[in-house]
Amino acid sequence: MSHAIDGHHDGELERRMSNETRFAVAPDTLPNACLAVVEHLNARLALMVGEDERASSGMFRLSYTFAVAQGQWLTLETLIDPAEPAFPSVTPLVPAAHWYEREVQDMFGLTAVGHPDPRRLVHHDDWPDGLHPLRKDFDPSLPVPRVDRPAETFHTLHGEGFVEIPVGPIHAGVIEPGHFRFAAVGEAVFDLQPRLFYTHRGIEKLAEGKTPAQVLQLAERVCGACSCSHGVSYSQAVETLAGIEVPPRAAAVRTLYLELERLYNHLGDLGNICAGVSFAAGASFGAQLKEAVQRLNERVAGNRFLHGVNQIGGVRRDPSASDLHDIAATTTHIATEFRSFIEMMLSSDTVLERLKTTGFLPAATARALGAVGVAARASGVDVDSRRDHPHAGYPALPMPTPVVVRSEGDVYARVLVRSDEILATLAMIRAVLDTLPDGPAAVSPGRVPGGRAAFAVSESPRGENIHFVRTAPDGTIERYRVRSASYPNWPAVAACVPGNMVPDFPVINKSFELCYACLDR
Amino acid sequence: MDWLLLALQIPLMLLLAPLVQGIIKTSKARWQSRRGPGVLQPYRDIAKWLSRESVASDQASWIFRAAPPVYAAAILFAALLVPTLERRSPLPAIADAIVFVGLFALARFWLAIAALDTASNFGGMGASREVAFAALVEPALLLVLFAVALPAGSTSFSAMVGDGWPGAAAVPAFAALLVVTIAETGRVPVDNPDTHLELTMIHEGMLLEYSGRPLGVIHWATQVKQLAFLSLLAALFFPWGMADAGSRAPLALLLGLLAWFVTVVVLGLLLGVIETAYAKLRIFRAPDLIGVASVLGVLAVMLTFVVEG
Repeated sequence: MSHAIDGHHDGELERRMSNETRFAVAPDTLPNACLAVVEHLNARLALMVGEDERASSGMFRLSYTFAVAQGQWLTLETLIDPAEPAFPSVTPLVPAAHWYEREVQDMFGLTAVGHPDPRRLVHHDDWPDGLHPLRKDFDPSLPVPRVDRPAETFHTLHGEGFVEIPVGPIHAGVIEPGHFRFAAVGEAVFDLQPRLFYTHRGIEKLAEGKTPAQVLQLAERVCGACSCSHGVSYSQAVETLAGIEVPPRAAAVRTLYLELERLYNHLGDLGNICAGVSFAAGASFGAQLKEAVQRLNERVAGNRFLHGVNQIGGVRRDPSASDLHDIAATTTHIATEFRSFIEMMLSSDTVLERLKTTGFLPAATARALGAVGVAARASGVDVDSRRDHPHAGYPALPMPTPVVVRSEGDVYARVLVRSDEILATLAMIRAVLDTLPDGPAAVSPGRVPGGRAAFAVSESPRGENIHFVRTAPDGTIERYRVRSASYPNWPAVAACVPGNMVPDFPVINKSFELCYACLDR
Repeated sequence: MDWLLLALQIPLMLLLAPLVQGIIKTSKARWQSRRGPGVLQPYRDIAKWLSRESVASDQASWIFRAAPPVYAAAILFAALLVPTLERRSPLPAIADAIVFVGLFALARFWLAIAALDTASNFGGMGASREVAFAALVEPALLLVLFAVALPAGSTSFSAMVGDGWPGAAAVPAFAALLVVTIAETGRVPVDNPDTHLELTMIHEGMLLEYSGRPLGVIHWATQVKQLAFLSLLAALFFPWGMADAGSRAPLALLLGLLAWFVTVVVLGLLLGVIETAYAKLRIFRAPDLIGVASVLGVLAVMLTFVVEG
C-alpha cells in the first residue's frame, strides 16, 4: 500500500489496529500525500481527527483516515507546532476534507491555510475569537461570553430577481433546528447555504477524563435516531483498545438491534417522504409501521430508541426466548403490511411524478464529498460498512450483506434503496433469529489500557458511524471523536438542491433524512 | 331583498362552515386510519383563536390590520349570494355570478397585500403563488359560470338554478367547478391545508404572520368560503329538494335545509377522498390542472351551444 504515497511520507508508524496502516507525514507534504492516497488507492476520506497533545508531545496531531481496500484503513498523521498553529489545507485537492478542516479551525484554533471556504463551521458568529473548546486548556465549566462580531456566515448573491429566503432555525414542525438560506429566482433555487450546528452539547469535550463505560452513555445519546449504531461503534472502538472480542451471541444480538433500528428508521423515513409531497395516506401508513417497530423495541429492549442495549464487551439486553418469538411474529406482520404500503406509495402517479428527477445528486459529487449510506448508494456509490468493514455479527450471517445500489441519484432512487433495504433487513432479522448462537451475552472488558487509540464503525440507517477513542495513560478517555453518517452527507444535500423548485426542498431533505444532533455532537 | 332568507342564511353560513370543515377533516382522518380530533374541533380552534391576543410585527401597517375584516366581509357577502334553501338568492338583485367572482377576488387581493405588508419571506412566497394561481383559477371559474348562465340567459344565480340542469354540458362544467373548488379551498393536489412545511405553503403561507383573533377571523372566513363553493356546486348541479322561490312554507324550507346540508357534506367528503388519495402536484404542474378546468369550462360552453342549440 505504501508505494502509492512513496516520497510523500516520513515512514510507517506502529500499527494500532490490525486493519489500519499509518504513515507519518510532514505538514508541507500532507495535501499531496492525501491526493496520492485518493487517486492511486481509489480511497475515500472517512475521518479526520485533531488532537491537542501539547502536554505530552508538545504538538497538535492531525490524522486523516481513508477507507482504502476492503476492510482496510490508511491514516496519514502530521504534527503541528503550537508556535505556528497552521497547516496547509488538503481541501483544494481532496474536497471531502472541507468540513473536517473548518471544524479543526474552530475547535483547535489551527488555521487551514489555503482552504477555499475558511468561514466558521461549528462556532456561530457570536462566539468569541481565540476560544477553542477542544484545546486542553479550555475550561468547559466557565461561561462563554457572547460577542458582537461581524457576521461571516453567508455569502450574499446580488443580481436582478434574486430573492433570499431564510428558513429556520425554528421550524413550524417539531423537528431539529437548522437554518437554510436559499437564493432563489422565482421558484427556482439558485443556491442553498445551510447553517447547522445549533445542537452542540460538547459531547466530545464532556467525554474527556471519563471512564470508557461512562462515555457509552454519552455515545448512545449523540442522536436519538441512531443510538444503537452509535453505541455499537463506540463499544467496538473500546473493545479494540482492550483487545477483546465479544461472544458470538453478543455479536448476533447487536446485528439484530442494528437491523431493528434500520427497520424503524427506514419505515418512518418513507412515511415522511410521503408527508413531504402531501400524500397523507402514505404518511399515516409509514408512521403506523414505524410505531409498530418502536413498540417492539420497547417490549424487547425496554425503550423505543434502543438506548442501553449495548455494553462494552457485549450486550446488556440479551433477548429472551419470548422476546425472539415476539420479534419474529412482529416482523412477519410488518413484512406483509410493508408490501401493501410500498405498493400503495409507488402505484400513485402523483407521488412518482414528485419523486422522479427531484434532488439529483451526481455520483461524482457524492464521491467527492465522501457521502455514505443511503444517499451514496442511491447515487451509484457502492459503499456499505456492513460489508466493507465487517462488524457485529454480519460476517457470521449465512448470507452476504445485500448492498442495494441504484444509479438514478434522485429522491425516487433513495426511496427505492430504502424500500429494498427494508426487505433485506427483514430477511437478515429472520436469519439472525434462525442462527442465534447460545452462550454468554457479554465478557468483561477488564482494564482498558492507557495511551492507546482506535476507532470503529457501524452502519446506521443513515450510513457509516465512526467513533474514534484515545485513552489517557490512566485508562480514561483522552480524546473522543464521533463522525456520524450525517457529517459527510449534509454538504451533499446542499449540493443537490440548486436547480430544484423551492417547494421541493422539504421532500429532498426528507429523502436524505439526516440528523442535526449527531452532526454537531 | 328577502329578509327571512337572509336571516336564515347568515347564521347558516357562519355556524355550519366549521362543522363542514370538521366533517371533512374527520373523514380524512378515518381514511388515513387515524381517529382525528372530532367534528367539533374547528369550533374549538376558532374559539381559542378569538380569545387570544394578537401579536403583529412592528413592521406591519394598517393594511395588515384591515385585511382580516375586509377578507371576512367580502367572503360572507359572496356566501350570501348563493341560493341554498330555496331556488333564489337571499339578495336576488345583486346575486350575480360576476359579483360572486369579484368578491372573492377582492378578498384574495386584501389577503395578498397583507401578506406582503410585513415583508416576511413566507408571506411573499404565499402571496405570489396565490396570485399566480388566481390568474388561472378565476377565468376557469368564470367560464363554468358562463356555461351555466348561457341556457338560463342570465348571470343571475336565481336564474341559473334550474331543475338540476341535465344537459350534456353539465358533466364538464361540474368537473371544472370541482377543480376550481379544490384550488380555491387550498386543497391537495393544488395546496395542502394541513402542512407544517413553510416552503411548500400557498394559502397558509399568507397567514403565517397572523395570530390570535385576526387569525381566527381569517380561518373562519376561509371555512365560509369553502362552504360557499360547496353550496354553489350543490345549487348549480344538485338543486334537489330546494324550496321554490318565494316559498314561505316551513316544511319546504326545512326540506331545503336538509337537502342542502346533505349535498354539501357529500361534496365535502369527496374533497376529503381526493385529498387523501393524491399527492400535491409540483408547483409548476398545478397550473396544468387548473388549465384542465379552463378547457373543461370551454367545452361546457361549446356543448351548450352545440347540443342545446
